[in-house]
Amino acid sequence: MKKKYIIILLILAVIGTWNSCKSDFLDIKPAGVLDQSVLANAKGIDAVLIGCYSLLDGWSISDVTWGPQTSNWVYGSIRGLEANKGTTAADQPEINPIQTYSETASNGYLNQKWRLCYEGVSRCNSLIVIANSALADGKIDQAEADMYIMQARALRGWYHFEAWRMWEKIPYLDETTDAATVDNEIDARPMIIADLEEGVKLLTNMGAVGRFNKTVSQVFLGKAMMQMYHDYAGALPILQAASTGTKPDGSPIGLAPTYGEIFDIENRNKIEAILTVQYSVNDGSGGANGGYGEVLNFPYKGGGSPGGCCGFFSPSQEFVNSFRTSGGLPLLDNSYNDDPVKNDLGVVKAPLDEPDPFVRDQGPLDPRLDWSVGRRGIPYWDWGPHTGADWVRDQTIDGPYSPKKQVYKKSQEGVYTEVGNWTSGYTANGYRMIRYADLLLLIAECQIETNDLVNAQININKIRARAANSAGWVKMPDGTNAANYQIAQYTTPFADKAFAEKALYMERKLELGQEGHRWFDLNRWGITVTELNRALNYERTMQWGDVLYGQSTVGTEDVTYPIPQRQIDLSNGKLTQNR
Amino acid sequence: MQITKYLRRIALFFLSMVLSLGVLSAQEKTITGKVSATGEGPLPGVNVTVQGTVIGAITDLDGAYKITVPGPGAVLEFSFIGYTNKQVPVGTQSVIDVVLESDVTALQEVVVTGYSSQRRRDLTGSVGVVETAKLTAVPTGNVSNSLQGRTSGVTVVGDGRPGETSKVRIRGLSSFENNDPLYVVDGVPTQDISSINPNDIQSLSVLKDAGAASIYGSRASNGVIIVTTKKGSSGTKVTYGMYVGTQSPGNGPTNLLNTQEEADLQWLVYKNDGTVDNNPLYGPSTNASPTLPYWAGNTNWYKELTRNAMVQNHDLTISGGNDNAKFFAALGALSQDGIVIYTDAKKYTARFNSEFTFLNDRVKFGENLTMAYRTKHGVSNQDESSPIVRVYSLPSIIPVHMTVAVPDGLSGPFEVGDWGGTGIASRLGAVKNVIADQWRSKDNDNWEMRIVGSAFIDVKIMQGLNFRSTLGGTFNNGYYNYYGFVTHEAAENTATNNFTEGAWYGNDWVSTNTFTLDKTFGQHKILAVAGYEAVKYGVGRDSEGRRADYFSDDVTYRTLNNGASTIYANSSLNTPTTLVSQFLRADYALMDKYLLSATVRRDGSSRFGPDTRYGVFPSFSAGWRLSDESFLQGVSFINDLKLRGSWGTMGNQLAVSPQNQFYAYGGSPGDSFYDINGTGNSSVQGFSATRIGNPNAKWETNVTSNIGFEATILNNKVGIKFDWYQKKTKDLLYNPELPGTAGDATPSYLNIAAMSNTGLDMEFTLKDKFGDLGFDASVVLTTYKNNIDKIAEGVTFFDPGNQTNTANRINGVPSRNMVGHPMSAFFGYKVDRLFQEADFHTEVIDGISTLVQNSDVPTQDGAAPGFFKFQDSDNDGVIYPEDRVFIGNPNPKFTYGFNLAFTYKNFDLSAFLYGSQGNDIFNWNKWQISFAQGFGQKGKDLLYNSWTLTNTGATVPKASSIASFSTLTEISDFLLEDGSFLRMKNLQLGYTIPENLLSKVSIQSLRVYVQAVNLFTITKYSGLDPEIGGWDTSFGIDAGNYPLVKQFLFGLNVSF
Repeated sequence: MKKKYIIILLILAVIGTWNSCKSDFLDIKPAGVLDQSVLANAKGIDAVLIGCYSLLDGWSISDVTWGPQTSNWVYGSIRGLEANKGTTAADQPEINPIQTYSETASNGYLNQKWRLCYEGVSRCNSLIVIANSALADGKIDQAEADMYIMQARALRGWYHFEAWRMWEKIPYLDETTDAATVDNEIDARPMIIADLEEGVKLLTNMGAVGRFNKTVSQVFLGKAMMQMYHDYAGALPILQAASTGTKPDGSPIGLAPTYGEIFDIENRNKIEAILTVQYSVNDGSGGANGGYGEVLNFPYKGGGSPGGCCGFFSPSQEFVNSFRTSGGLPLLDNSYNDDPVKNDLGVVKAPLDEPDPFVRDQGPLDPRLDWSVGRRGIPYWDWGPHTGADWVRDQTIDGPYSPKKQVYKKSQEGVYTEVGNWTSGYTANGYRMIRYADLLLLIAECQIETNDLVNAQININKIRARAANSAGWVKMPDGTNAANYQIAQYTTPFADKAFAEKALYMERKLELGQEGHRWFDLNRWGITVTELNRALNYERTMQWGDVLYGQSTVGTEDVTYPIPQRQIDLSNGKLTQNR
Repeated sequence: MQITKYLRRIALFFLSMVLSLGVLSAQEKTITGKVSATGEGPLPGVNVTVQGTVIGAITDLDGAYKITVPGPGAVLEFSFIGYTNKQVPVGTQSVIDVVLESDVTALQEVVVTGYSSQRRRDLTGSVGVVETAKLTAVPTGNVSNSLQGRTSGVTVVGDGRPGETSKVRIRGLSSFENNDPLYVVDGVPTQDISSINPNDIQSLSVLKDAGAASIYGSRASNGVIIVTTKKGSSGTKVTYGMYVGTQSPGNGPTNLLNTQEEADLQWLVYKNDGTVDNNPLYGPSTNASPTLPYWAGNTNWYKELTRNAMVQNHDLTISGGNDNAKFFAALGALSQDGIVIYTDAKKYTARFNSEFTFLNDRVKFGENLTMAYRTKHGVSNQDESSPIVRVYSLPSIIPVHMTVAVPDGLSGPFEVGDWGGTGIASRLGAVKNVIADQWRSKDNDNWEMRIVGSAFIDVKIMQGLNFRSTLGGTFNNGYYNYYGFVTHEAAENTATNNFTEGAWYGNDWVSTNTFTLDKTFGQHKILAVAGYEAVKYGVGRDSEGRRADYFSDDVTYRTLNNGASTIYANSSLNTPTTLVSQFLRADYALMDKYLLSATVRRDGSSRFGPDTRYGVFPSFSAGWRLSDESFLQGVSFINDLKLRGSWGTMGNQLAVSPQNQFYAYGGSPGDSFYDINGTGNSSVQGFSATRIGNPNAKWETNVTSNIGFEATILNNKVGIKFDWYQKKTKDLLYNPELPGTAGDATPSYLNIAAMSNTGLDMEFTLKDKFGDLGFDASVVLTTYKNNIDKIAEGVTFFDPGNQTNTANRINGVPSRNMVGHPMSAFFGYKVDRLFQEADFHTEVIDGISTLVQNSDVPTQDGAAPGFFKFQDSDNDGVIYPEDRVFIGNPNPKFTYGFNLAFTYKNFDLSAFLYGSQGNDIFNWNKWQISFAQGFGQKGKDLLYNSWTLTNTGATVPKASSIASFSTLTEISDFLLEDGSFLRMKNLQLGYTIPENLLSKVSIQSLRVYVQAVNLFTITKYSGLDPEIGGWDTSFGIDAGNYPLVKQFLFGLNVSF
């Protein structure tokens, strides 16, 4: 009897042991993820393609802060001295050396930007691999494969081009490249051009406003030819073709009737925008798709001004002064700094119910200034007048101005901004990566460089005529102009190429200021060192300039950023520094 | 599977042996008696066995026993832990009363080791034992906290927050990813013992070297801690223990400026920088002195944030049983308020252990079951938003509540009684009112339920051979919610309220089957264990949702569906891990003098690919009892002396993700979704590669050598234990950061790195008695030296992620893990001295008179008088990142525990000191308060002792608003401090009420005590508390570490 129990118990134990030792016991499938083979069909490939597009907004790779921003407010605008970092000295300290032209290869922001560009490249390459395997398996046909791969190649071209603009001496990877062995000795430019040319084969109507289409690819191709090769003659017809194209959803492109409306979130996908990086809010991403890279760039007055955070990206005095006009035209000899725009530094705010003691600048100004910069006393969208020091985090470091172009309206809070997050600065205000005015000015630039000054002048005047539409000027509540706006077109024919260049360079600064282009433009024009040293010497004489810029100067090496040291280290000697 | 075939054969063999057992012969006789101990009265629970048979009994509460013996030739053996065994031949007696002698040596002690128990004198591996009394001596409510300083080789860094566990490291650090020891509770392996009530623990052993631990194979490399919970004994016994007391937060930081001083500092900055400003707080800088605004407060944030907090604990146990059935039941309740307002932790535990023997003691069945329910209003730590950091960063000028109205406040009008905050005026920084935030969090909810249990059946197949099968598992489940309020008082406000709610569950199970052979043949003694084990763990999932825009903040309105807009709804499914293992251990002792032991374990893990998932972990150890040799027989002062040595391997599979072998695609809305249609409020699903798979990863293996000795000398009064070890980890799993060109998918773990640890473990004990005065002292010393031998081909270092948020404020992270250095070493610039005026001359550049560095001083960005002059480590005349060097080490040179206990008549006094020597701390709080450029609150040194034109000998740099390479943006040894400390962890005075006073009220014993915990700490460290944890790749950073606090307690223990 007792023995029987023991036998039964032992048998049970042995059976238990046997059962848990089935050979598949150690085969555990990964939970919550997909295998590549599940994606190798039309639906899967399109989703992977969405993944390729999703990095256009600068987010996300692991361990990032604001380094991979898509609007290049640090790399293009602050580096181009249109603005300074703003905020407080110790906030995001990696921006400090970038704005003093003393960044080292170990700067973390640069590493983030690099990694974002190449994660974009990597995603495009995996798409091409998956699409080819689906094609081989008969899951998609050749025409479908082409559609996916052409988009992926155009995007791959763009991600590489973005890297090239930053570092020039970059590695190029296609879907066959081994990331472990790639170096940066081979000139990447021909491959970038080839990839962008693939995009030109796309349809003009891609059915969705966020995709790359023929027109978008043409602009990028033309821009890349200008930036990388100074091939103005080659770029001109491509850009001209683009100017008669459409947006990716097939809708028309052109100049918006007034200047200010361009930056209203409502109009982010309207006529002016050829390609807007699509930001979305309240979409379940917790703000990550809402322009994460630009989230810091709002005036600093909790509850009383837009965004609530963080007082970054303060326009420089030198930039503001450029809007001084004489006879409606800009001062192309830079003499605008002799008659600086009056600022409110050190003028405290008025007690409640008392008039503002600050007397605003009365001189003639280009009306685009007050859409580009928030300054005291001027209506700031529908937030009421900018109140000066108390909207700025610390005027002794930031200077007196606030950014404006990406700021949302009070009436848009909660609709075009993320709710329930630490800041409302996550917005749907997608970065206008290519807008029509940019295209017109690129065309004008090609025309100047190919000595067609007449048509260049016509194109520049188109921009100025639009800016001169007083319906779009910033108005006081009583309907009067917020400042003494005076703007005119160039009526005298451009005297020579040198003058035309000056006019064009200034027009880009005024029209596209604070939009992340400046430093890249200066590099293309080859005037980075002289122009930035001139501006720096002026800005340094400002109250905040000494604290911010100290003894810094711009050197010949500052036309690129150093290749991130981390990447050189990780490449096991394959990558070499670019300077 | 091959191995199972053998197992079956073995089982069949044993079965046939069972079947062939003969029938017991007659001539039986019943013996009764009482067992007592000298000076202690009756002894319950003593094992009474008939030598050479399986017949046994256990004494009841009165020390009485009854046993049937086969005949007059039988010999009764009486054994009880802590007492010398006694043998009595039965002869013609029918009543045998026995008095046992207390065994002063610990060598007879039975130590629970891997899958068996051994006498301490037979051990050949390195095993640390923590006495149960010591585990509960310091009232922490958590086993991991109680281990500190109690046994050598174990480094514990405490966490002062209620309900949190400490970091336990055994013999240094051997992995980049996971260095947590394996806990085995009543046979159930787990990584978490926070749910175990320390009061329920019968014994705790720490297996340190390969000789002891490698029977746990793949899970042993970080050491194994074996916990056995209490069992019942014959007779009913009820105990109750409680303590109640208060925790004191102390004074907090004393080096911060008050409101007036902060204003004076601003004037010093204006003077130093030559800045002209119209300060929105203090008026024009041209004024002779600052004027404080009318609303200014003078807040001591630490005082406002903290309180004297109550702690109380109650434990009730009931145990009992008879010869065939025993049980132990316990209830525990711990309630601890945090010193930070609105924080607390509560823990309720229930345990039921039982054991039944039947079929003539041939079969034993038992179970252990514990349930723990915990609630917590926790507090974040080591993070920029944590309350303690905010003590260092909130300006004192901000009032907690407004005492006057500010109609034109920066963020809107403020009424009297409103929360104060950085929104009152500009230049107040961005740190949020910590009191307001704590108040807002008071209704958040967080609980966790955990059930841990195991059941076993133990069959005695024949004398000396047992089969045991254990099935154990845990189930846990938790819930939390938190609410975010709309704020008005801050410079950076939250515009919409939101509510987050989440829940999770998980479970795991283990099945273990072992055969144990315990035989003595003359002078040969064999103990062998063979077993098979299957484990599945990490099963579970979690979900979390967040909505925003709540119409009402009322607590009862907080449900997800009441929020007007959905922020996210997420869940995740865990990938579980399975393990199968076979193991064999054999211990052999010859003449009790020569001890040999061999272990081998083979493990398979689902975390590795099919070709590499099995690992074999052998170990060998040997012992030599020198004291039994004839040449030492004459040496009278040596009572026992044993040399030990071991070599073996242990593995680690925790380092890799269960998904490591798979190449995976996936995507989250933030990472790969895109609003391709331009809606502005929705995004289209997208995917990208998320993980690069490596099917070839295999176990981390460390090879450990251990040499040691144990001795008891001077009449068994002094005990010495000494071990030297070397632990080399090869095939160390590391996921090297891939070049950016490879994309951002999670890189797979590769077996490429290597690391080594060497160290000494030492323990000294002294026990003596002088009349009524009993004396017991012990010293425990732990050292380790960690060195990274290799990271990856071409990779000599890696920096950990930005775990304490320091990198948002300063360039890089302070820790660097580099070949040739210990893990987490501090890396940065060495401050040479401060720049002086003599280092500069004036030049006119572009018409501007400019201060230029003299050519004999290395060029440094941002150089100016009064700022840091960094060391030019490579002497090339330029200061740049290559000049950074290793500036400190957070690993202590040694840690030590010092335990003292006195008894005098009915009084007992015990003290426990714990110390850590030679570790550096990166004091992030010092960064907060040492630079005028940063946010918020500043320190006294900056105002009174900083560099000025008239105080050029200062070591504190000039107060300035200039942020540059030479001021606050770089990591330097300016922020490093010596973190050595010695702390009085425990001081306790107890009084046991004399028995004769208690016998009338049926109380068996009653002891009352008063206790002080963390009474004092001797340290040079300037922060709140030098005991600082953190991730293994970046520890020793004080980013607002929550301090361990003083406690004063009263308690009593009573048994019926």
